[in-house]
Amino acid sequence: MKRIKRYLLIYRECIRVAFASATTYRLNFFLNCIIMLLGDIVFPLITVLIYNSGAGFEGWSVYEVLLIQSIFTMSTALADMTFNGILWATMFAVREGNLEMALILPVDTMFILMARTFSIDAVGLFIGGFTIFTVSCINLPAPGIFMWLKAGALFITGLCVMMGIALFMAATSFKWVGNSRIPEIFESIKGFGKYPNNIFPKTVCIITSYLFPVAMIGYYPAAVLLGKEGSASFIVLIPCLLFLAAGILMYRYMVRLYQGVGG
Amino acid sequence: MDNIITVDKLTKEYMTYKRGSSFSESLGAIFRRKKVSVLAVNNISFTVKEGDIAGILGPNGAGKSTTIKMLTGTLYPTSGSIRVMDYNPTRDRKAYVSQIGAVFGQKSQLIWDIPPVDSFKMNKAIYGISNKDYEERLKVMTRIFEVEDYITRPTRVLSLGERMKCEFIMAMLHQPKVVFLDEPTIGLDVIAKHNIREFIHEMNSRGTTFILTTHDLEDVEQLARNVIIINHGDKVFDGSLKELRNTLGEVKLVQLTLSKPLNELSIPGACIVERESELSITISVDLGVIGINEFISKLSDICSFTDISIKEMPMETIITHIYKSKEDDKQ
Repeated sequence: MKRIKRYLLIYRECIRVAFASATTYRLNFFLNCIIMLLGDIVFPLITVLIYNSGAGFEGWSVYEVLLIQSIFTMSTALADMTFNGILWATMFAVREGNLEMALILPVDTMFILMARTFSIDAVGLFIGGFTIFTVSCINLPAPGIFMWLKAGALFITGLCVMMGIALFMAATSFKWVGNSRIPEIFESIKGFGKYPNNIFPKTVCIITSYLFPVAMIGYYPAAVLLGKEGSASFIVLIPCLLFLAAGILMYRYMVRLYQGVGG
Repeated sequence: MDNIITVDKLTKEYMTYKRGSSFSESLGAIFRRKKVSVLAVNNISFTVKEGDIAGILGPNGAGKSTTIKMLTGTLYPTSGSIRVMDYNPTRDRKAYVSQIGAVFGQKSQLIWDIPPVDSFKMNKAIYGISNKDYEERLKVMTRIFEVEDYITRPTRVLSLGERMKCEFIMAMLHQPKVVFLDEPTIGLDVIAKHNIREFIHEMNSRGTTFILTTHDLEDVEQLARNVIIINHGDKVFDGSLKELRNTLGEVKLVQLTLSKPLNELSIPGACIVERESELSITISVDLGVIGINEFISKLSDICSFTDISIKEMPMETIITHIYKSKEDDKQ
């Protein structure tokens, strides 16, 4: 309990520092917020344009698809704010040989790199995602309280998948030093989570649900709110949590490897 | 005093890639890279006593930083053992690092965009320092360093010397028992160096043990009581500063400004080591062979001079001699 309290205090301090850093370059902060918002909001806009032209995903209304994409956007925003920074922090530290500065601190290396890279720049993106989410919810049948709770649990699990992805990406940067293309590969795979899962072939559905469970980021929480989840959504929790565990283990292993091989 | 650090047969070997600089070699490296083994630290043993200031010296690539990294627990040794305050640095890393501090002259713990005081608060949370202790320690250290005015300015606008002082405060806030300094005065002007050395002396007088690696021999002369010299991963000297000075025997350098040129010097234990000009020469005098009084007396008999100064053998000369003699031994 004492340890958790200490880690929460450190995290609070990191948030304070992130806020102080962001306010140092105010214009950069506002531009970042706007650019991130515009960049990710274009995607739901395309969905609207597709539906307005008469096309669309069979069995899914425009607001249902927007609901999936807004949840995906909010999840991405929260990930960017809280833990995605570990990828660039690790990549930079390994390349510059600065990881020692984190290793000499009496806290978990993975935690401190995540906490120190807390970023409030994605707050604009979160607001954008939340706005689309609200508009979608207004235009869809209201879910019951139990559905909200289930969707909330799946949304958190989706964040676990995002964290697993971030850790896998960060871990690879120990081996493939300075490979800035790695995130693009993971981002492409993550893109499957933005769409209704049943529009994909069965093999893709299995991969995105059980092997690389990106469907949990947007699709499954939205499906619960829409009453379309079927029986699979809770089974999918297991590979999601295993995915996160694998990411943590791999990251820790790579940190130990760094300590073992560096000169 | 008890030993606070005990290093026994420490070795660090790692693999790296080697490739040439030509186009064909770069092209070839896309498909196949040549792996080479680097023996950064080779079977070194030493101890450091509690309350000591120990200097680790060596040329570039000697293995000093690798040794410091292993001592701080951020690198695993290939073999050998390290005990610092009864901790194994790599096995008990988290508990161990809460008891030590580190300043890396070429790496910063400070957060670039915000004032140092915010970085200090971050370390306060990380090390779990109470508000009372934090305020007290910060007050003492900012007074010693005279940095009260600029710890509230963004780090990026501070000079290197000001930043380095803040790095020291950052590393000392949790009152570590042992502090590792990796080239702490690199790039600093004489005043900043002086301030930092004063600070190290002050903290050492309060009981903190310091281990420092440096290229700056003045750091060693003014700070260290004991010196370890590493070259090509091997320990080539381990002893007190006095023992280091006497490595070449008890030798003094006598600089003379002559009235008339002197062609030869026939005093036992003395020889001309440098002729700056016809009337300006430097003589080395081995005090084991001839006393300084006797030397001056004999010198007055054979020549007349208008100025004389007696100096210690420069540390550079001693260390260069140690490096070279060990390399010659190997060959």
